[in-house]
Amino acid sequence: MRLSLFMTAALAAATLQAADNSFLLRNVTVHPVSGPDVSNASVLVVDGKIAEIGAKITSKAKVRVIDAKGLHVYPGMIDAGTMVGIAEISSVRETTDYNEVGDFNPQLRSAVAVNPESDHIPVTRANGITSVLVLPATPGSGRGGGGGFIQGQASLMHLDGWTWEEMRVEQSAAMMMRLPTMSAAASFDPATMQVRRGSYSEGRRNFETQMRTLRGFLEDARRYRTAKLAKDASLKTDLRYEAMLPVLDGKSPVLINAARQREIRTAIEFAAKEGFRLIVAGVRDPGDQLKVLAEKKIPVILGSPYDTPLDDDAAYDEPYTLAARLNDAGVKFCFASFGAQFARNLPYQAGQAANFGLPKDVALKSVTLNAAEILGVAAKAGSIETGKLADLIVTDGDPLEIRTQIKMMFIEGRQVDLESKHTRLYKKYLNRP
Amino acid sequence: MSLRSLALGVLALAQLPLLTAQSPGSPVLIKDARIVTAAGPVIDKGSVLIRNGLIADVGPSVQAPAGAWVIEGAGLTVYPGLIDALSSWGLPSAAPTAGPAGASAGARAQAQPAQPRSRGPEDRPQTSSWVRAADLVQASDRRLDTARSAGFTTAVTFPKDGIVAGHGAAINLGGATSGAMVLDASTGLYVAMRSGRGGGGGGFPSSLMGVMAYVRQLWMDAQWYKSALETYEKNPQAGPRPAYDRAAEGVLAARRVLLPASSRVEIARMITFSAALKTPVVLYGGHEAFRSVDLIKAANLPVIVNVKWPTKERDADPEFKDTYRTLETRDKAPSSPVELAKAGVPFAFTSDGLDSPADLVKAVKKSIDAGLKKEDAIAALTINAARIYSLDRRIGSIETGKIANLAVVKGDLFDASSKVEMVFIDGVKYAPAPEAPAPAGGAPGGGRRPGDAAENNDEVNR
Repeated sequence: MRLSLFMTAALAAATLQAADNSFLLRNVTVHPVSGPDVSNASVLVVDGKIAEIGAKITSKAKVRVIDAKGLHVYPGMIDAGTMVGIAEISSVRETTDYNEVGDFNPQLRSAVAVNPESDHIPVTRANGITSVLVLPATPGSGRGGGGGFIQGQASLMHLDGWTWEEMRVEQSAAMMMRLPTMSAAASFDPATMQVRRGSYSEGRRNFETQMRTLRGFLEDARRYRTAKLAKDASLKTDLRYEAMLPVLDGKSPVLINAARQREIRTAIEFAAKEGFRLIVAGVRDPGDQLKVLAEKKIPVILGSPYDTPLDDDAAYDEPYTLAARLNDAGVKFCFASFGAQFARNLPYQAGQAANFGLPKDVALKSVTLNAAEILGVAAKAGSIETGKLADLIVTDGDPLEIRTQIKMMFIEGRQVDLESKHTRLYKKYLNRP
Repeated sequence: MSLRSLALGVLALAQLPLLTAQSPGSPVLIKDARIVTAAGPVIDKGSVLIRNGLIADVGPSVQAPAGAWVIEGAGLTVYPGLIDALSSWGLPSAAPTAGPAGASAGARAQAQPAQPRSRGPEDRPQTSSWVRAADLVQASDRRLDTARSAGFTTAVTFPKDGIVAGHGAAINLGGATSGAMVLDASTGLYVAMRSGRGGGGGGFPSSLMGVMAYVRQLWMDAQWYKSALETYEKNPQAGPRPAYDRAAEGVLAARRVLLPASSRVEIARMITFSAALKTPVVLYGGHEAFRSVDLIKAANLPVIVNVKWPTKERDADPEFKDTYRTLETRDKAPSSPVELAKAGVPFAFTSDGLDSPADLVKAVKKSIDAGLKKEDAIAALTINAARIYSLDRRIGSIETGKIANLAVVKGDLFDASSKVEMVFIDGVKYAPAPEAPAPAGGAPGGGRRPGDAAENNDEVNR
């Protein structure tokens, strides 16, 4: 009862704020990411967009003034791969809406499945994340992850809005795919109680068979496109082939999870052969493909470094230094949590990489501007520049540091509530008699 | 099936007089050969006299009795017959163990109705501790020929299905009947720490901790059963009689227990476990003994080292990287016997089945190359195995009075060019199978009795 009253109040507050998307933020240090920091400056936001940045604001617009003396402004962070909004409790079927069955589902749009009331949304926002790329299937390479080859459209969503339409930044930021793998099915050996790897030749055969299926579908999609361009009147609309058109035209990239050297090589060769724009996600052990990624300017989405190395003999810090190695090789990358409840840890993924050799400015870029560029939305997000959407966070320090507090958040200029289930529980238990 | 075994039985019976007439018949003298006795120094030039299936005499100067069949031993080396210390030779490949336990092989699934999934130790899953290899021996096993061709005369053979699989038997790898082959019908209880998951059984125990807890419980049950029986025997009027428990009976009958211990963690685990058992323990596996000799020495347990050394998987993924530990194990496993010998730990060898007779020498040669002394290698294949199973009064060395189990080799056993010329089992000569075992139409080796050959062709042709 008390809780529902509280929530009603919070909703009312959000409604009021939503109406107001213009303001002047004063006395702050601006970290635009796209350029050098500016201290003692102001940021003017008009109608949800950044209008002006500088020590002296020339515009005479009458807006709400927010004095944030001593605080810092950063662009809101972007998590480039999550299940936020489509997976509430992953083990409860009714609360999840991803991983469709079937090999080819390009027509699926994850944006429409997003629940604006998800409890994960305010929790994720609390650490400074304003947008997330919502994936239509569990990411994972090899035998991990959701099934199918073409899994659907990944949508970039703001973490604020009454409906999914309001939250939507880019509905088709990437087409999520999973390529067949060459490793054969492992089996449990009861005698040794260990998992035994399948035979390589069997794995290869499966791989070739599955690739043939995949190529067959892509050929059908191309024939559909040709017929459509020829204005063939007999052509029956097929949502799957329609959804493939931007991919075939090279407008929309494919996002392929590939952890190891061979998976990455397979993905690169596949994309080159099909003429697709490629984003490689979930890179963990790129091996000799690191150079190729750099040469071909293929961007990468990295997962969490808080993991053990893939191989037993690898250095303990291999996951920590991966980002720095990519950066040294000249590969552009951003970070993703690839989850729902831990999406809030995104800034600390970049922070950990910064502690292990990644320059701090690149670390910050990897959760802001790089993500926007990789996902094709750099014209409107990812940095504090005039004309871009006012997705901003106001902090008392470096947002990649755990102790830093997010004091204010703006999404398209609307000030967003920073309360979440965590803060509610915090307050509740603080008052425990 | 029954008709067939009846026919075979009749066949065997028909041959019996012929066999008894032949085998203990005339004495055999192997003259002027090199003799590796495994019971003292090598006799560079000496003779062995075989009579009544036993070694009647051995030494530098043994006279041939009248009527003896003399084998000129120049260029030959006589060894005690080799012993495989942990085998399944002579047993049907999927032993028809009865009961709810150990249903794993597909063949058995056909023979028996499916058992309900076990839910806990009370169902006694994967246990057939009452099964005795001695009752299952088949003289017609085709593998015996291959084994003899490698110089083996004896194997300690075990049922291997399930977790507590059954009692082993020491068998000679040839004999007039299955029963005649058995040297010792109770060599120990074979235990494998395997999961009930997969295979026909399903159900409990599926995890390693489940298996361990289950085996511990089984041993406790057996001890309780024993004391309950004793109490009841003293005063049957005092209470209800304890129910007959064949699993507990089987456990109590064990003279020793064989526990799987190949990796260091398994070795450590089984050593800890052995302390809880009231039965002497023999470890088997031993591939990582080279990195565990401290543990084994401290526990003072004998080890049966499996000389089928770990190798790179066939058809492995070329981009898969083996761990350093795996590579090291692969590289150093053959040095395990070296380390055991240095530490004074008694050990024997198992060939873990042979694909071809040459495999044994190749495998043991790797240990010799890693520093194992030849006499230690021979001891592991002969007298040590006999000692581990308390058979050393009867087999394991060339000494007067022991069973005439001998391997006669051209050259030195561990030379690549060596060739097993013949073996003697209970004084009966067997010639090796022809080289390169062709799958079809290989002529049976000379010296085999016609009945054996007939049985083989009838029974085991693939």
